[in-house]
This record gives sequence, C-alpha cells and structure tokens, in this order.
Amino acid sequence: MIKQLSVFVQNEIGSLANVTSVLKDNMINLRAIASFDTPEFAILRIVVDQPEKAKEVLNAGGFAVKVTEAVAVELEDKPGELDGMFRVIADAKLGVNYIYSIVLRNGKVPLMIVNTEDLTKTASVLKEHGYIVAEQEDVNA
Amino acid sequence: MIWAKEETLPRREMEELQLQRLQETVVRVYEKVPAYRAKMDEAGIAPEDIKSLEDLKKLPFTNKKDLRDNYPFGLFTVPKKDLVRIHASSGTTGKPTVVGYTKKDMKTWTECVSRIAAMGGATEEDVAQICFGYGMFTGALGLHYGLENMGATVCPTSSGNTQKQIMYMQDFETTILVATPSYGLHIGEVAHQMGLKPSEDLKVKIGLFGGEGMTEPMREEMYKLWGHDMMVTQNYGMSELIGPGVSGECLELCGMHINEDHFIPEIIDPDTGEVLPPGSKGELVISCVTKEALPLIRYRTRDISRLMYETCKCGRTTVRMENLSGRSDDMLIIRGVNVFPTQIEEVLLKVPEIGAHYEIVVDRKNFLDYMEIKVELADEALLDSYSKLGELEQRIKSNLRVVLGLDATIKLVAPRSLQRFEGKAKRVTDLRKDL
Ligand SMILES: [Zn+2]
Repeated sequence: MIKQLSVFVQNEIGSLANVTSVLKDNMINLRAIASFDTPEFAILRIVVDQPEKAKEVLNAGGFAVKVTEAVAVELEDKPGELDGMFRVIADAKLGVNYIYSIVLRNGKVPLMIVNTEDLTKTASVLKEHGYIVAEQEDVNA
Repeated sequence: MIWAKEETLPRREMEELQLQRLQETVVRVYEKVPAYRAKMDEAGIAPEDIKSLEDLKKLPFTNKKDLRDNYPFGLFTVPKKDLVRIHASSGTTGKPTVVGYTKKDMKTWTECVSRIAAMGGATEEDVAQICFGYGMFTGALGLHYGLENMGATVCPTSSGNTQKQIMYMQDFETTILVATPSYGLHIGEVAHQMGLKPSEDLKVKIGLFGGEGMTEPMREEMYKLWGHDMMVTQNYGMSELIGPGVSGECLELCGMHINEDHFIPEIIDPDTGEVLPPGSKGELVISCVTKEALPLIRYRTRDISRLMYETCKCGRTTVRMENLSGRSDDMLIIRGVNVFPTQIEEVLLKVPEIGAHYEIVVDRKNFLDYMEIKVELADEALLDSYSKLGELEQRIKSNLRVVLGLDATIKLVAPRSLQRFEGKAKRVTDLRKDL
C-alpha cells in the first residue's frame, strides 16, 4: 500500500496554495491531490514522494495532518477497467468512501486510489483478482 | 509561607480592625470628596451612622461611571502633589479610569502583593519574570514591587517577543512566571514549538496568573503545557481598588484569599443591589479601607463570585473568593438567554480534540441572534473522514446546548490560526452593538 496525507484546510482564498507552497519550499513532489466542494473546511488528500517529511514540514507550518495507508491499484487505460475494480470491491461487500487517481507516471499505467472502510481486505481481494496494488516505492520515483 | 500576621487574625479581631478602618475612611471621603459627600447626603447617611460592619450596606455604591464623571482626580482625597504614582486603565469608550497612590498607598500595595506572591509559594530564592505589559496598566509594576519587596529577583521582561522571553527563562533560570493566563498558555505553546519541554528544559515552577480570570479547564491546559509539577495560581485585583494584591490563591487552590484588613468584600444581587447572605453567588463589591489617595467605598467590580468564610487548610483565616464565574459586563444576552463567555470556555476546554483558543462572534441575522464559535482542530486522527469532524462539531454543539440552553454554530479552523494574546484575551466580538 502507499501513504496518503490528509490535511485540514479552511475554505479561504489561498488555503490550497499555502499547502503547496510548503511542499514546494521543501522540494517535495506531489503525485496526486484530491479535494471536494465543501462549505466550511476541506480534508485535502495528497500523495507525495516523501510522506513523513511532508507531514513534518506541514505540521511545522501550522497544518493538521494525518498520514494513513491507501490502496492504489494499477489500471490499464481501456474501457471496463474501473468497472471491473468496483465489481470486485462490491462483491467483497465493501463500500467505497472516495477515489482519486495518479495519472502521470512517466509512461506507466495510471493508479486509482480507493478508500473503503477496510483497506487490508480491499487490497487482498483486488490482488486475488489479478490487480496490481502499488507500494510507496512505486510513487516515489 | 504566610507573609503578614493579619492573614491569620481571628474573625472577631479582623472585624474590629475592619470597622475601625472603615469608619476612618468614611469620615475621610465625606470630608474630602464633594462627590462622596453629595451621594451620602442624598442617601441620608452621615459618617457617624456607621456603627457596625452591618451598616456598610447603608452606604451608596461607587461605579466606574463615578470615576469617569470625576476624571481625572475628582474622587481623590489628597492634593495631586501628595501622589507618587498615577496609573490608568483604558476604557473601550470615553476617558480612561485614573488611579493614584500616595507614599503610604505604595507601601500598602507592595505589602498586599508580597502577601499574594507568598500565597502562591514565592520566596526570596525565586527569579520572577514579569510578562505583563509595563506602562499605565497596574499589573506589571504591582507584581514588580511586591516581588522585589520579598527579596525575589525580578526580571521586567514585559509582554511580547515570546521567543526572547523563553530565552531569558532558560538563561536566568526563571522560577516564577507572571502573566495573564492567555499569555501564559501562549508562552507554553511557543516553548513547545521551539522544541522545548517546559517541565524539563525550564525551571519555572510557579505561575502567578492575573489580569483576567482563569477557569479550571484553562488551569488544566496550563498543566498540560508547563507540566503537572507547576504551581498554577491566580490572583485578583483591579486598578480602581489598588491593582493586583486584592486577593490570591494559596497552595490549596481553593479560592483566592482576600486581604480583608484592606479590602472589605460583599456579594450583592447585581440587579437589585441587595446584599446577599454568606455563600451566595453574586456581584463582588469591595470597599478600600486603608487607601489614602483613592479609597473607593462599595465599588461595584462587576465580577461574579462567591465568598467562603471557612478557615483554609493553609492556616489563613481571611475570606476566600471563588474563581470568577464571569463579569456582569461580559454577559451576553442571546435570544433572551444570559450567557457568560466563561461558561462557553468551560465547555470548550473539556473537549480534548480541540485547542485551548477560541473566538466567539455574536451577530444578528434576519432579526435573530446567532452565535458562532471558532475552535482549532487539535486531534489529527479525525482527519480520516468528514463524518468524524462533523461528529466533533455536533458533540461540541450539544455540550454547549446542555450548559447554555442555546444552539451555537461551531466552526473548525486550522491549528494556531486563531489570534494569540500577550495581555488580556479578547475572544468575544458582539457585532450587534454596531447595528
Ligand atoms: Zn488558603
């Protein structure tokens, strides 16, 4: 599995830029980012090449940050791939909380990050069905 | 250590001393201050009518407005040349409140502060860092003189420049921190941000906090930041009365002992002005019975407290006043419900997932009052999902509803994003006043 950072951001002009500036200043490379349309505040989900360092520098910058594991699945760029993955998860009686993707991977296939209430089980049922679940090393480079 | 023998007088002797001093003071103000004479004449009372402490309640109250109306020196009983010090407290509106001290007043003040410092555990061995803003505010110079008088080493660092404060704390091996509770919390936070663990890396063992009230949950926050071995005490005073030195907590932490031989307390119903029976909660009224320059009689402090006359375990016999439960001035009326900001603070500081700082905004929307409270998210574990954060907001909201009987809007904000205070905190904004 890979590491994902959840960052608390207020709905204010510039609040996302404040996060990305801290990452830029510390030479941390963003691999994926997701945020949703919420009225008061947002939980920004990000995947970076140096998750522990990112948490440290964001905390020092006054952000609340939690590092958690995330399931990232390799998906071919062809019709039905995503459907197949959702089927496997649904058949295992798991609910999806949110998904987002890492598309740019230097020619490698995109990764779909999927969050459910049971990440270990999600990763294992996907592997059983032949999907490749990425590790943190796969997103570092 | 008990600083003065007056602190352990048997009740009867204390009352005799109080009566004698009260009688002298009433004669003094009646003779020297036209405004007092006019008020007393109007109430139909003469100095000789004060025959017992019970008669105190016959005297008219003094309000902050009286000080403003007689700005700057109209209530003083001495000519200006007899003053050796003037202080002033800035009001949000109009003229400041001016207070003055004769040489004898300075001695009284200094002794009163030495007493409260000793109550909190201070000795001549200590190094005290005074992080109150110096200037016209009485807090800093009050503590300064009182601590110097007891032989402690005083560092007048004043407020602000927090990192430097912490550097001095390390280098001078400061043992006593003097600050407002808000600033005490802020200094503790900054020390942690600097990578220090105050309980191990600093020698501060006593906090003498004042200038604003400290609720019990705030004291808990102080222990969390400074370590549980710190003696976290608070003291009480106001410039109109003398400055700091009116009362302070002893090591038993069971209320603030009032220097009763100088200040006679009463508790009244703030609406009717009636004196309430011992043990009741109400507005604290204080008569200064040893001051020369400005001996205010029955001054309405607007602070809500309760008096406890039982002898304390520390051996002092002086009456104790309970932690302030708010100021009648600060009381907000929201949709007809009386709300003290301290009630809100008590609720918020018991929620471990949020920080110790908060902001309250009261406004009116469509002719209806509403209250929004901003709190800082402290527990990163909740970042798993929106529902966990939503549950936290709901929990704070329902805890507040239980205490206040009101709904508030809770707004979670990022850690360290709310304003920090170097003096008294100003956490409430009432926008309805501007309408
Ligand atoms: Zn005591």
